[in-house]
Amino acid sequence: MKSFFAGIVRTLSPGISLVLGLGIISAIVVALLPLQPRGGIEIWLGDGNHANLYRALAPEWNRRHPDLPLTVTLISGPALQSRMLSGFYSGTPLPDLIEVERGQIGQVFAGPLQDVGFTDLTGLLARDGLTHEIDPASYSPWTSRGRIFGLPRGAHPVMLAYRSDLVEAAGIDVKQIETWDDYFRLMRPLLQDLDGDGYIDRYPLTISLTNASFSEIFLIQGGGGYFDAMGNPLLNSATNARIVARLATWYAGPGRVIGDINMYTGAGLRLLREGYAVAIPSADWYVGNLPVSLPSLAGKIKLMPLPAWERGGRRTSANGGTMIGVTKASKHQEVAWELAKFLYLSPVIARQLYDLTHIVSPVKSTWSASYYDRPEPYFCGQPVGRLLQQAIPDIPPRPSSPYLSSAVQLVNSAITQLMAITDRQGYVRPEQAAADARRLLDEAQHTLLDQIHRNVFQQAPATP
Amino acid sequence: MSSRRPYPAWAPWLFLAPFLLFFTAFGAWPLVRSFMLAFEQTFGPRTTVYVGALNFRFLLHDPLFWAAVRNTAVFTAGTLVVQVPVALALALLLNRPDLRGRAAFRLIFFSPTIVGSIFVGVIFSLLLEKRSGLVNTLLHAAFHSWNPDFPWVDGFVMPSLLMASLWLSVGFNMSYLLAALQNVPADQLDAAAIDGANAWQRFRHVTLPAIQPVVGILILLTAVGALQLFDLPFILYADSFGNGPNNAALSIVTYLYQTGFRSGDLGYASAIGWILTIVLVLIALGYRWLTREEDAAS
Repeated sequence: MKSFFAGIVRTLSPGISLVLGLGIISAIVVALLPLQPRGGIEIWLGDGNHANLYRALAPEWNRRHPDLPLTVTLISGPALQSRMLSGFYSGTPLPDLIEVERGQIGQVFAGPLQDVGFTDLTGLLARDGLTHEIDPASYSPWTSRGRIFGLPRGAHPVMLAYRSDLVEAAGIDVKQIETWDDYFRLMRPLLQDLDGDGYIDRYPLTISLTNASFSEIFLIQGGGGYFDAMGNPLLNSATNARIVARLATWYAGPGRVIGDINMYTGAGLRLLREGYAVAIPSADWYVGNLPVSLPSLAGKIKLMPLPAWERGGRRTSANGGTMIGVTKASKHQEVAWELAKFLYLSPVIARQLYDLTHIVSPVKSTWSASYYDRPEPYFCGQPVGRLLQQAIPDIPPRPSSPYLSSAVQLVNSAITQLMAITDRQGYVRPEQAAADARRLLDEAQHTLLDQIHRNVFQQAPATP
Repeated sequence: MSSRRPYPAWAPWLFLAPFLLFFTAFGAWPLVRSFMLAFEQTFGPRTTVYVGALNFRFLLHDPLFWAAVRNTAVFTAGTLVVQVPVALALALLLNRPDLRGRAAFRLIFFSPTIVGSIFVGVIFSLLLEKRSGLVNTLLHAAFHSWNPDFPWVDGFVMPSLLMASLWLSVGFNMSYLLAALQNVPADQLDAAAIDGANAWQRFRHVTLPAIQPVVGILILLTAVGALQLFDLPFILYADSFGNGPNNAALSIVTYLYQTGFRSGDLGYASAIGWILTIVLVLIALGYRWLTREEDAAS
């Protein structure tokens, strides 16, 4: 044995022997290192702004709970989702609380209700009198099979951010706009070929077709959507078909009135700055992003309510969102719940978050705060916070489902196909596209139902 | 002469142990586990239910899976038809001794391979952007009638992917073929030229047979790589998680990823993975069968 190892050492060069030796020693040292026990109470989140706010509150929390100091861990979105799901699926270490975005939550609800990795908060909310203290529509994305698993961070009403300089120069009075029909009729003069090359250089409205959530903004505003409150898919509802037909004739065919730019890219923002689009549907967080991304448009942008689908109809929608949930893995369930309330119900944080991001709190007691009335020079002196807050009670619910991303893809595919048909057939009026819209949405519904029925963990979709 | 071995009997096992350990942990066991998973429905690895062949039966009627199969097949065929001939043409061009700056051209053509698919995906998404992308901007500047909103990425999904893939991989394939071309016997080419063969005849009857084994392996590698298409559509169509408009960019591997890691259905993802594996094995076997005479001769 001794001669064997001596043989190995003789065979290997001194350098290789050194590297090998160091490798073996390092491996032993790493294996023997004791695991750092996690102390206190920990929260994972993916938003840097939120992380900074919570860290600033840590001293206050730590004073109240010296035995359970707060640790805020910022993790990039995809990594956060992977680590969260690994924890839920396989029992790898998890924090006490996790802040999750809407696009990340569907998968959490895919299995049996009792296997959802977040604690069911429905009873705690009722116990603490919070069920009605928060805007009810804001709970909907974080609800599965009637159980609430998270506190909502923001309300996320959608308004129309428009280039007031262009609109006012054209002599258009936005107060006369109530419906989308009014909007496109009055804004028609701004559908312009500015350089005479035969192509439109300015559209009255833009929203990116490639963005997964574009259809939801319109569908839920018009009373449609992907699922009902019980999780039954509604892709082929008459309301959806009507809206999809209109979207297709807005986006395609000889009557096209909408531009398609990705407003989340540098190129898209440049086009907005150059006036390619007059208006863009904007959730509260996007409104907060405008002064940062497009400072040169200061004093040239205003907000107005979304035009309704019909007279007297809903003038807002919802987009995006974040929740905080207590993980079942937390050993301090009550304290974690207390921390969730501390971070999400605090009027101080609500104000700081508004100042930083324009996200409007769904907590009703904060709605009367005076900072919402502050005129904002970037938005031509409008009290942006108040406009956003006033839209909250009208926000439509957005029921959650593990099949949300599938539903979104199927509906967006139907719209893309309908646009191609609209281009081919030269449809101008939505009625011309209605039959094709219904057929394509029927196919989408059929595909989604097949997927849902295959899932043995989900109970059959309930009857409302 | 002593029959005593100069090393202990267990010594070979000691040397094999690291490989066996890692292969078993990260190769064999996952393979076995994924085969078992293909017959289960899962919510993560802890909550599983045996469902028999349900996953495979569902695959047969899943329109998204067939869309992914169709897209992947078109991409693979397109890649083979475009990429190998272009790589061969470039290799022939750069193999000319009288070409000045050959080394620089080789570096230029090979450089996209070095930067990788993510970078290439990002570059192409910027190049092909509507209105503000370089391609549309240049074409509109050159031809005033060119639509500055021409939807390269949205309306021409497969050509966009093929273009990006060509730019990414043609240099890599070219380097293989260039090495093969440099091994074509010069005396045979000279003899053919003396016998009056023109350039095409020399290529057809001397060069091509000489580089045929490399072309064959390149076709196999290109097909296998194309069947595993994932990163380019995932970057170019990031907003729709790689699906593209009307699922036109959805590939088999993208669908596998979405099913397993976005929907958490590892069982269904495993079934998709095994179908892909069977296709790849069949292609490899087909390649072996087609080249069996060549193998026997060598």
